[in-house]
Amino acid sequence: MHDHDDIFKLHTPDFDQLNKKWDRRTFLTQTSLGLGALAMGSLFGKELFGSTPKAAAGASGLEADILKALPHFAPKAKRVVYLFMSGGPSQFETFDYKPGLAKMMGQGLPDSVRQGQRLTGMSANQSILPIAPSAFKFAQYGKSQTWVSELLPHTAQVVDDLCIVKSLFSEQINHDPAITFFQTGNQLPGRPSIGSWISYGLGSDNKNLPTFIVLVSKNGQKDQPLYARLWGNGFLPSKHQGVQFRAGKDPVLYLNDPDGYDGKDRKEMLDYLTKLNQLQNSAYGDPEVEARIAQYEMAYRMQTAVPEVMDIANEPDEIFDMYGPDSRDPGTYAANCILARKLLEKDVKFVQLYHQGWDQHGNLPNAITQQCKATDQATAALIKDLKRRGLLEDTLVVWGGEFGRTVYSQGKLTATDYGRDHHPRCFTMWMAGAGVKAGLSYGETDDFSYNILKDPVHVHDFQATLLYLMGIDHERLTYKFQGRRFRLTDVAGKVVNGILA
Amino acid sequence: MPVECQPHGARKTNTRLMLLNILTFAGRLHPLIVHLPIGFLLLALLFDVLGYTRRYAHLRSAVPLTLLAGFVAAVLACVFGWILSATGDYDTATLGRHKTAGIILAVIAGLLLLFTTSWFKKQYVVGPRLFSVLLVGLMGLMSYAGHQGGNLTHGNDYLNLAILTQVQRQKPTSVEAAFIYEDVVQPMLIQKCGQCHQPGKLKGKLSVQSLALLLKGGKTGPAVVPGKPDESELYKRITMDPGHEKFMPADGKPPLVKREVEIIRWWIEKGMAVEGKKLAELKGNATIQPQVAAYLGLGGAGAEEGVAGIEQHNNPEIPASLDMGLVENLRKKGLIVRVMLQHPVMLDVTLPAGSGARMADIKDDLARVGKNIIWLNLSDNGLTEGDLAVLEGMSNLEKLRLEKNPIADGISDHLLALKHLTAVNLNETKISALCVNKLGENPGIKRVYTWKTAVPQNAD
Repeated sequence: MHDHDDIFKLHTPDFDQLNKKWDRRTFLTQTSLGLGALAMGSLFGKELFGSTPKAAAGASGLEADILKALPHFAPKAKRVVYLFMSGGPSQFETFDYKPGLAKMMGQGLPDSVRQGQRLTGMSANQSILPIAPSAFKFAQYGKSQTWVSELLPHTAQVVDDLCIVKSLFSEQINHDPAITFFQTGNQLPGRPSIGSWISYGLGSDNKNLPTFIVLVSKNGQKDQPLYARLWGNGFLPSKHQGVQFRAGKDPVLYLNDPDGYDGKDRKEMLDYLTKLNQLQNSAYGDPEVEARIAQYEMAYRMQTAVPEVMDIANEPDEIFDMYGPDSRDPGTYAANCILARKLLEKDVKFVQLYHQGWDQHGNLPNAITQQCKATDQATAALIKDLKRRGLLEDTLVVWGGEFGRTVYSQGKLTATDYGRDHHPRCFTMWMAGAGVKAGLSYGETDDFSYNILKDPVHVHDFQATLLYLMGIDHERLTYKFQGRRFRLTDVAGKVVNGILA
Repeated sequence: MPVECQPHGARKTNTRLMLLNILTFAGRLHPLIVHLPIGFLLLALLFDVLGYTRRYAHLRSAVPLTLLAGFVAAVLACVFGWILSATGDYDTATLGRHKTAGIILAVIAGLLLLFTTSWFKKQYVVGPRLFSVLLVGLMGLMSYAGHQGGNLTHGNDYLNLAILTQVQRQKPTSVEAAFIYEDVVQPMLIQKCGQCHQPGKLKGKLSVQSLALLLKGGKTGPAVVPGKPDESELYKRITMDPGHEKFMPADGKPPLVKREVEIIRWWIEKGMAVEGKKLAELKGNATIQPQVAAYLGLGGAGAEEGVAGIEQHNNPEIPASLDMGLVENLRKKGLIVRVMLQHPVMLDVTLPAGSGARMADIKDDLARVGKNIIWLNLSDNGLTEGDLAVLEGMSNLEKLRLEKNPIADGISDHLLALKHLTAVNLNETKISALCVNKLGENPGIKRVYTWKTAVPQNAD
């Protein structure tokens, strides 16, 4: 064992550089002006000093005020699990039942429906936009008698627990801007993700695990890419970013001690490293240094917490039967659902699953059948499992993609095959659990599921509602960056009262 | 705590900013420098007076030097004061008096210094007594200049004789007992408008300090017309479009929030803009009580001010406030306490699974915050129903998690009187169907979780 309690007396070239860091200007500003300003402050009192440019002193105080006011409402949900169906699942083959379309199969989409709204470049040049009814049967389930497609037999069993919103709409027609819009409230990259905002606003309930954890299924078709910035912290301090666990047996690498090292003095090593980092921090004042210190310490605590949570081998067979055969294969959507449940049990605040492969421009009937097979049973099992454990009391489950799909077929329409293009003007999502009405279908679309007839819900409205359920007023959780205060819902968003329990 | 995110190079920008502001900065040195002449000149007088005694007669010879220091310092103070006056936003009348007095003071100090020079003494004679009287007069002038300066900084009412007789208002203890004008409207107006509309500043010739002054109004007529909010200039100004140039408060100063506007409207319209009346004495006061309660921080039934259309109705029996030290006590004992809401104080308390804590050690701490606990999680801690009598005091509890504890049917007795309780988690405990039946006697309980217990499970 070494003793590192001595004060640092390092004379390497690097440290000498740091020691000389006070140039004349810094010295003058920080000593004379600094002390003078301090003296002035006490002499003048706040009122007069308030008239100086607030750039220097204001920001941190502003932030403290913002955070001190939280929570703004009594929260309904303590945790969120967001099942993101990346690619844009079709509403026609899942929840938005449009029986009238069968008679119109192959006919061109009436102009009175489309009203000249833009299409993507992929189908805009088609000579005809042939109406494609769902190739799958629908039936009513549960006490709520909700229509669900035959592709989702398991979800149909829990439909009385779901609050299905059929009238979501987005402004973005292509994947990346649409998914970025959903996750960060803006179509351009660079803003914090929903989970990061929640981490920033509400902090952690379990200091041994990250507040915001991301799991990406390995068995989704990787047709549209996902980027780490979708769960990124944007301009928030980087300790609020989503931590992605790997899809596989070893979700976090290098947690085990390497051969020949017993790990006994790791804490000491980290303490020493923290001192070095703090030295750096006092010289440069870069908040990223603090974030790095926090991450190292989090990683240390995760060494004990993660293996315990991520080990699903000890789950009883009954659990694997419930979540489906995939669930024994780590990294699949089903296995991730079990992991999500375990993380929620440990009070991880925001768990986000991504499952890719819903972008069915062609060969839709086949492809969506596979997608549903890979996700339906595990999704329903997660709801059931959370419910019987009593966790649905204070956990919010969200299911949905970045947009919907068109009523017309992209490419050739045949009796058994068709494709659907992107459609942001209406699509279906559902929520379940804390604070939302169970067994409710909210919003209505027209007979072509092309336009919204009743109760439209904008992406920002969805985000505002999610924050509301966590106890946050979306207008008051802000962060000042580059002279402007930003928030998740930008300058819009209304809480959707109609779905609140 | 999140750290402030500063882009690289921010330090350099700040430096330039501060150097550009050197004038502002130098101006603000005035209050520092101004105390130098005060000290020196006082010392000159002291030396001069002591010079009359035999013992300190030698001090008189130090008077010219002290006066010189006082004179130089007074000139410097004038220069810095002038810079400050150019950058600050001050009441011009007071500023004028302060400036004149300060300059005269410096000049007289210079003259007195002149009187002590040998060159002057050769031509004229100023007797020592006259000199002393002049010095005392200088002190008077200095006090006057100093007082004006103080008024500039702290406001005209900061140091006056009325302070001696002033009584601090007691914070009202209930909404009904609150004086609508004295406790609510007046402090609100002084806080939000007083900076500009006070006797020292009188922007638009209006002061909000008293009701009489409001009724008298300013340039555009009376600020308040009893019974007619829409004819009251004050109400018009605070409710117009915030982008309008006549909107008040001007210059982006924090506007009145919705509930404050509602209170003012009610006071003008229904309360006829009275003073000296308690809320309870006024007709139709029920409609405004929630807003007043929220303004005064009296909590309780107050609906939370929030996003448009969202109102949460919290249980009015939850205590509005709580000694946060009690929460800290719980945290020290290893419990996780999350504040769900601040007004009223709602707590979500979790005893970490397998904490090893003994109920006997924590039950008193729990009981002290019992009425504020809304969600409670004691799962997986080896507890029995005998440990849990403390639950009976948690009359506002809504959700209770007791799963994975060796709890038997007797637990139901502790829960029957909890009328706000809606969900009880008894998964993996030793309860039987008897317990569930018994819990049925509490009509509030909607959901009892009994997975992995002897209770028969529904087949759904």
